[in-house]
Amino acid sequence: MSDETNGERTYESAVARLEEIIARLDSGEAELRETLALCAEAKELIVFCKNELEAVSGALTELELDELVRSLEDPAD
Amino acid sequence: MPAERLDPELPGPFAVGRYAKELRTYLRGRAKVLLLGEVVNLRRARANTYFELRDAEGAVPCAIWNEQLDRLELDGSLADGVEVVAGGGLDYYPGSATSSPSFHFRVTHLRLAGEGDLLAELQQRRRRLEADGLFQPQKQLARPALPKTIGVVTARGSAACRDLLAGLERRGWRGTIVWADAPVQDRRAAPRIAAALRALAEQERVEVAVVCRGGGSLADLWAFCDESLCRTVALLRLPVISAIGHESDRTLLDDVAAVSCSTPTHAAEELVGIDVRAAHAELRVWSSSVGRSARVAIRTRGQRLAELARGPGRAIRAERARLHQLLREVRASSARGLATRRELAARHALVVARKGRATQAALEDADLGLRRLAGAIAGRSRGAMGSEAERLEGFELAVRGHDPQRTLERGYALVEDDAGEPITSARVARERRSLRVRFADDAVRARIEEGTDE
Repeated sequence: MSDETNGERTYESAVARLEEIIARLDSGEAELRETLALCAEAKELIVFCKNELEAVSGALTELELDELVRSLEDPAD
Repeated sequence: MPAERLDPELPGPFAVGRYAKELRTYLRGRAKVLLLGEVVNLRRARANTYFELRDAEGAVPCAIWNEQLDRLELDGSLADGVEVVAGGGLDYYPGSATSSPSFHFRVTHLRLAGEGDLLAELQQRRRRLEADGLFQPQKQLARPALPKTIGVVTARGSAACRDLLAGLERRGWRGTIVWADAPVQDRRAAPRIAAALRALAEQERVEVAVVCRGGGSLADLWAFCDESLCRTVALLRLPVISAIGHESDRTLLDDVAAVSCSTPTHAAEELVGIDVRAAHAELRVWSSSVGRSARVAIRTRGQRLAELARGPGRAIRAERARLHQLLREVRASSARGLATRRELAARHALVVARKGRATQAALEDADLGLRRLAGAIAGRSRGAMGSEAERLEGFELAVRGHDPQRTLERGYALVEDDAGEPITSARVARERRSLRVRFADDAVRARIEEGTDE
């Protein structure tokens, strides 16, 4: 069962689908309408993957567990 | 008397002092054994040193004569949290009129636990956890290849900790780290590590955790063999990676963890399944590949459509011309053949008549031969016609496969100029300005409006 079926898209599932699409496009078997639909889907997946990568490509953020736990216990803090 | 009747049917009553002494005799008669456990609550009294021997499942109170302990020359290495092997047997102090009784394991032999003892104990814990199916749950948890937040349980500032950070940096990963500081060696380590992991698991944003420590002997790493720590980890819903720098002996945590890594660098690779830098590059390649696919798909189909539009008409015309030529040749040759034969036969007949020796039979023979010949010639031309018709039918089938009409029915359109010639490039289209777009059902007129699209 893929992550897609759980309704949650992950980087891995997006990459797997991208590879599928590119293989289909490379085969040259897709008709024009399918080709254009696949390209649109692929572009959307690429944007998703890019955002996922961007999210872990900035600056390292370091948090202390103790502080997180405290802020959880006392949200007014 | 009525009160005594309420007693159950038991022997006695006996004097308790005598019973206490009997109890001591009974307990001292039990087998002498060696016990393995951790020293807890070590305290030295006037005559005895007391401590508990404890592990995850239980404890026994112990006592050793000070004089005996001092002879063992443990040189102060006996302390809380140390794993020891204690030899001795059960004992009981029956107390007195003024002092309380006490029960303990009388230690007559005591030494620090060695690798062998620890290994044997580890083996038993391992068997228990495996029997309870606790090696599997962590391995079945889904781990994200690209987590945004990871939890790290470690002693901050250690070499292992620095190596882990360096490994993550090599991956190009710069997400969020939640640090959980915990001792990684001694009696307090295991419960603190378990508590840290439980707290990390409660943080929804933390997607995966790693327990990180540099190498050491099995005794140094004994905290990671703690049974209750490992039972806790096994049942967490947060995937836990064990990065204990063991050289030879696996710890119990390595067995229950989702993955066990022998170096922090390896742990960084397991934490972040993809190389972020490489993934960026790969994505760029895919992006341009998809864009190219779209352009190429449209262009090659356009060219092919134009070829198809020209192709069939030309092929049919050529084939038709070829067929006509063939038919003419066949007709001419059969006519020529008949005339020649007839002339020859007539000449033969004349000769026969002139010589006067002609017979009806000879004439009849000649006539018969003539008829046979004519039949053969007619048959040949029929055959030629038949096979050409088959050929043409084959061509038609082949051509129908490429029929632009069928292509149009699939949703393509054909662009032609006013003369009906296909237009295959934007350049030509710009020159023509006015053109026709042929769909499957009909054609429409179209005009080029330059500059609106680009």
